[in-house]
Parts: sequence; structure tokens; C-alpha cells
Amino acid sequence: MSKKLFPILLITTLTSCSVNRVPIENRIFCFDTTVISQLYEGDQSNLDDIRDILLYYDRVSDNYNVREGITIRNISTSPIKVEQELYDLLKTSVDVSNLGATYFNPLCGSLSKKWKEALGKNELLSTDVINSELEKINNSSLIFDDDYIISKKGEAEIDLGGIVKGYSLDKIKEYLSNKHIEKYLINAGFSSILLGKKDTSDGYFTVKISDLDNAYIKLQNCFITTSSKSVQGVKIGDITYSHIINPLDGSAININDAVIVVSSLGYIGDALSTSMMMNTVDEIKEIEKKQNVKTVVVRNRQVIYCNEWLELYHG
Amino acid sequence: MDKKKLRNDIILVVSLLLITVVSLVIINVNANRTNLVASISVQNNVVEKVDLSRNEEKDFYIKGLKGEVHVHSKDGAIAIIESNCPHQDCVKMGYIKESNHPIICAYNAVYIVIEGQSNYDVELG
Repeated sequence: MSKKLFPILLITTLTSCSVNRVPIENRIFCFDTTVISQLYEGDQSNLDDIRDILLYYDRVSDNYNVREGITIRNISTSPIKVEQELYDLLKTSVDVSNLGATYFNPLCGSLSKKWKEALGKNELLSTDVINSELEKINNSSLIFDDDYIISKKGEAEIDLGGIVKGYSLDKIKEYLSNKHIEKYLINAGFSSILLGKKDTSDGYFTVKISDLDNAYIKLQNCFITTSSKSVQGVKIGDITYSHIINPLDGSAININDAVIVVSSLGYIGDALSTSMMMNTVDEIKEIEKKQNVKTVVVRNRQVIYCNEWLELYHG
Repeated sequence: MDKKKLRNDIILVVSLLLITVVSLVIINVNANRTNLVASISVQNNVVEKVDLSRNEEKDFYIKGLKGEVHVHSKDGAIAIIESNCPHQDCVKMGYIKESNHPIICAYNAVYIVIEGQSNYDVELG
């Protein structure tokens, strides 16, 4: 028996001692944050392709700096032909408000900048400035013509910060799927994360939720996105003001402290998590049903709503 | 003869089990010993690696895109304590010591990520 069993037992012993594969990784500074791509399958050329996707969308969506080629800063009242990728991104950013993201508006750029500037000095924006910015937003729109021609009516500035990370992750997911790569984790600034399968027997990633104490969630093959005022919130008096602006009243006040959205599409999760910062729990439940997303809502570091299909672990 | 054979088989199985247990212990001990290292990057280049497990107090002056960023490490934690950025979000984050959670100064394209052993694959937030 020993002679026959020995090789089998030895192989079993050695394989039981093996450790999980270390993924190949790259880090790209884009979207004003760092994107960490980890692949358990594929090679360096796949990481390079992912980098190219990220840098493309980072360039075309930059509304602060002059960049090479046509970007959102070039879109004005004069019609301009743009690349299909930018055209589709802008079209998606307008259409997403019809998918439940009623508090997401891609034309909030100038108002967002002014709030950021004021909150950086621990100051509030005056009602006059808010009203003037709201007027700009309400009188502006993007006009999409055939052959990828775009123009902008009005003076509002485009800001795709609430959607572009999720949208880029959708493109990366599409790319990885075409390359038959299933095991990966793409972390866009720790607020939008694309999860494939982990290289373990169950395939689940453990995601810590920083807006809750010792809470985590186990997920695979999905996007998880969060909007939160815990890092960028500014307390003035008794109110914590957020970098997430309400495009309807122009305020920087959110009902919720953090919203976590698990979705199958990155751009929907990204835009919804931003917009849901202003939604009540009842409104969020309605959106969940229509968009097939799952949500966790946090106030004062407590879960005030967690979708029944999501399991939050503690410890 | 059969008794001897059985005894040998038992010895073999027990030995292999022992090897397994000892190997797993060694692997886990080594994993727990993995040092927490903070990597400081400017854009896509790592410019400094700081071994936080040494608990040393140190200052680093990092040349960012638009100015200098003052990074300080102490008691196994690291922070950006001075930056010329307008919103000071990076400075307000204070000291971090956990793996997975970064400090980002977008204005200067400087970011600090802690690498090392963690119970989680990624932190959201």
C-alpha cells in the first residue's frame, strides 16, 4: 500500500501547502486618483491595454487642464466633431439621469468648482452665486448631432467626475471579457471597483467598507461603488458639506453620509451612488427595483438600509 | 508481517500530516511577518518606500507636480502633513496605518499606498 499511496499522498501534501498566485499589477494616476489593476490571468500587454483605456478617458474628461486632442473643454456653442468614445461617454452621462440618477447632472462643472474652492477655505457659497450657477445649469444642454458632432448650449461647464470612473471600468470589463480574462480586480481610486473572480476556490473578494466599523462584504463579478462625505466633507457649524453637489438646489448638503451601490454596470453604479446621496431610503428602494442594483445607505457610521440580497459581515 | 506493514503505513501517513501542518504554520508565520510598507508615488512612479513596521519617525519632502509635499511617518503610520494644494484633502486625512487605504494629493499627483498583509482584498471608501 505504501508504495502505491506514497506518490499520491506526497502530491496531496505538497499541493495543500501551496499559496495563492500573486497577481500582476500596475498603478496609473488618472481621474485625480490612483487606479490599481490586478490581473490573476493574462500578461503585461493586457495591463498596458488597460492603462491605455484609463488614460484615454482621463484625458478626454479632464475639465481642469488643457490636454492634447479634443476633450470636454473643447465642447462649446460651436459644433465640433469628437471621437465616438467621447461622444458615447457624453451621451451616456446625459441619459443616466433617466435611469434614476435624478441628482446627477454632467453640467455642474462650474458650480462644483466654486463649491470646492469655497469649502477649501471653510467658507460657504453665497445664495447669489448659487442662483447664478443654477441659472447657467438650467439654461444649458448638450446637443448631439449625427456623425459624432456635439455642441453645448449655454454657459455651464461639463463635469463627468460622477460617472467617468465607472464608465471606464465598463470598457475595461468589456476588454477583459474579449480576452477571456476572468480573474481580476480593478480598483479606481478606492471608490469604484470592478471585481472579476478572485484566484481562490470560492472566487470571492473581501471588500472592507471604510464608512462602517469593521464591516466587510464578499463579492465577485460585479462593480461596487461608493460616494461618501467622510473624506472630503467639510464641517461648518453643525453641518457637514460635501463635494457632491445637488444640481437641483445648488447646495452641497447630502441626506446620506455614504451610499454603496453594487451593480452589473459601472457607469450606473457610479452615477447612482452620487445621486443617491440626496435620495431618501424609500426613493432608493424604488430605484433599486428599476435598475437592478443593490444598495447600502450609511448615516452616522450606522447602516440605515441594506438591500436584502447583500450580506454585510462584521469582524 | 501485516502488522509491520500497517505500522509503516501509519508512520507514513502521520509523517505526511506532520509535514503539512508544519508547512502551513511556516507559511502563515511568514505571511504575518510581511512588513507594512508605504509606497509614495508621483504620477506613475514610486519615489519612496517606507517600512512602517520599524516605527521610525521620518520626514520626506516629495516633489509633486505643482509643489513640494511634506510626508511624515511615525508609530507605524504615515501622513501628508503639508501640501500647497488648495483643498488640503490629503492633509485632512491625517495618519493612515492600515493596508489598502491611500492618501491622495490630486493637485500634486502624489499618492501614498500601504502595501502588506491585510485581512481584506480591498477597501472601499
